[in-house]
Amino acid sequence: MNEDRRNLSPLLLRLGSVLAGLLAWHYAAEVLIKDSSILVSPLVVLSKAYEMMIATGELYPHLFASSVIFFYGFVMAILVGVPLGFLMALSPLVRDYVNPWMTTLYTAPRIAFAPVLLLWFGIGAGSKVAIVFLGCLFPVLINSYYGMRVVNREYVELARSYRLDRWALFRKILLPASVPYILAGVRLAIGRGLTGVAIAEWFGATEGLGYLIFFAGQTLNIPVLFVGVAVFAVLGILGFEIVRRVEIYTTPWRGQAQGG
Amino acid sequence: MTFFPVRKEITRGAISIFAGVALWEILARALLENELLIPPPSSVASTFWLLLTSGELNRHFATTATEFIYGFSAACLVGVVLGYLMGMYKWFDEIMDPWMAALYSIPVIALVPMIIIWFGIGIFSKIVVVFKITLVAIILNTAAGIKNLDPIWLELAQSMRLSSWQTTYKIRLPGALPFIITGMRLGVGRALLAVVVAELMASNAGLGYLLRDSSETWDSPKLFVTVILLAVIGLTSFNLIKRFEQRMAPWRQTAEWSADS
Repeated sequence: MNEDRRNLSPLLLRLGSVLAGLLAWHYAAEVLIKDSSILVSPLVVLSKAYEMMIATGELYPHLFASSVIFFYGFVMAILVGVPLGFLMALSPLVRDYVNPWMTTLYTAPRIAFAPVLLLWFGIGAGSKVAIVFLGCLFPVLINSYYGMRVVNREYVELARSYRLDRWALFRKILLPASVPYILAGVRLAIGRGLTGVAIAEWFGATEGLGYLIFFAGQTLNIPVLFVGVAVFAVLGILGFEIVRRVEIYTTPWRGQAQGG
Repeated sequence: MTFFPVRKEITRGAISIFAGVALWEILARALLENELLIPPPSSVASTFWLLLTSGELNRHFATTATEFIYGFSAACLVGVVLGYLMGMYKWFDEIMDPWMAALYSIPVIALVPMIIIWFGIGIFSKIVVVFKITLVAIILNTAAGIKNLDPIWLELAQSMRLSSWQTTYKIRLPGALPFIITGMRLGVGRALLAVVVAELMASNAGLGYLLRDSSETWDSPKLFVTVILLAVIGLTSFNLIKRFEQRMAPWRQTAEWSADS
């Protein structure tokens, strides 16, 4: 029931919208505000991005530092989250005992734990990895749990009638059936991990994208601030896209994703 | 999919919490000499009482709550209208889409420094942060709800000769309600995180401020009070909105946890 009266092509509308937005931004920065400590034109941001990425390359050490932290936290979250989620799905005992702690940790704003983790692990890489880990853990864990819980009964019955043993049941039925859910969790974990990196690098970091943004904010360096924000956005989209491709490749039959 | 609290579950949960707290108390007292790293629950509790009676906690809590409520309700109003328009008109959807995608994919945290530069360190910048986070979640979900409406309902509206205004508030909005509430639920978790982040960065009141203040002064019991309080607030708001969701849209099955916040 869309009233598509104006028969413009969608691509044109999108392009027009982006262009109009950028023009308005440029106008606001150059004509209305004229204060480079509040807003700068997209052209200035673009030239700053060029400078940081190509001319001086000063972006890369930050990018690298953040990637390392993200990688460790993310991988650890998957290594812990998937088995723990499975365990909780398969054993009600484990689930009931772990559940209250997990729900509390999960629903609390993650940032609250950052100072505590800092206290425990120091201002080095340890606390940062821990913050990313905590951010990534729950989407992965919850989706692994959920995926295994909602495996179609008929598959399990089929396995029974073929007299598969428990390991084969897990390996052939339960595991593949939960893969789409796990991947959906991994996809969500990327976004939360990136947020985790930014949070982590606020506290006592000397490099990294979070530090870059934070420092630029403190010194009213708006072009760098915008570049940092844009890099985060690009990383988010990129990570999302990669997992989506993996999803299509590994699970052509596609399951329903959890959350949004 | 909610496994409703069977009695066995509650007992086990209670045992788990109780044992955990007892273990924490014993270990903290036996192994650690000072309270810096892990203060025992008893000293956290007494600090909590102290903060509560002195009215300090009250002040910070009220600030955060105010910021949250203003930002959240403004986002609900604006978000439903924009989401409705995006769901109804394809051209509006096309225009908004690139901007929504950009807003959606930028981590909140990255935007906070900019919002603070623009709107100052007072409560207004926090309201804006909450508004932005909640807005995206509500717009996207409202638009999805309007688009996914069962065409039969619209045919029904037509055969009843409902005016377009009547169709909107009798058919479209109630039909999209479960989606809107899902958007609100996702918004609550994110907004809570964002408001604390913003307060942590620059503010003079609020729970995020308390968090920073206590961690910078190495006041671990106070830090733990804040952390636990935030956890309780998160848990409570999550459960409230889940109840609300079940009441408003009981036909919709939701997982016991939503996998995002």
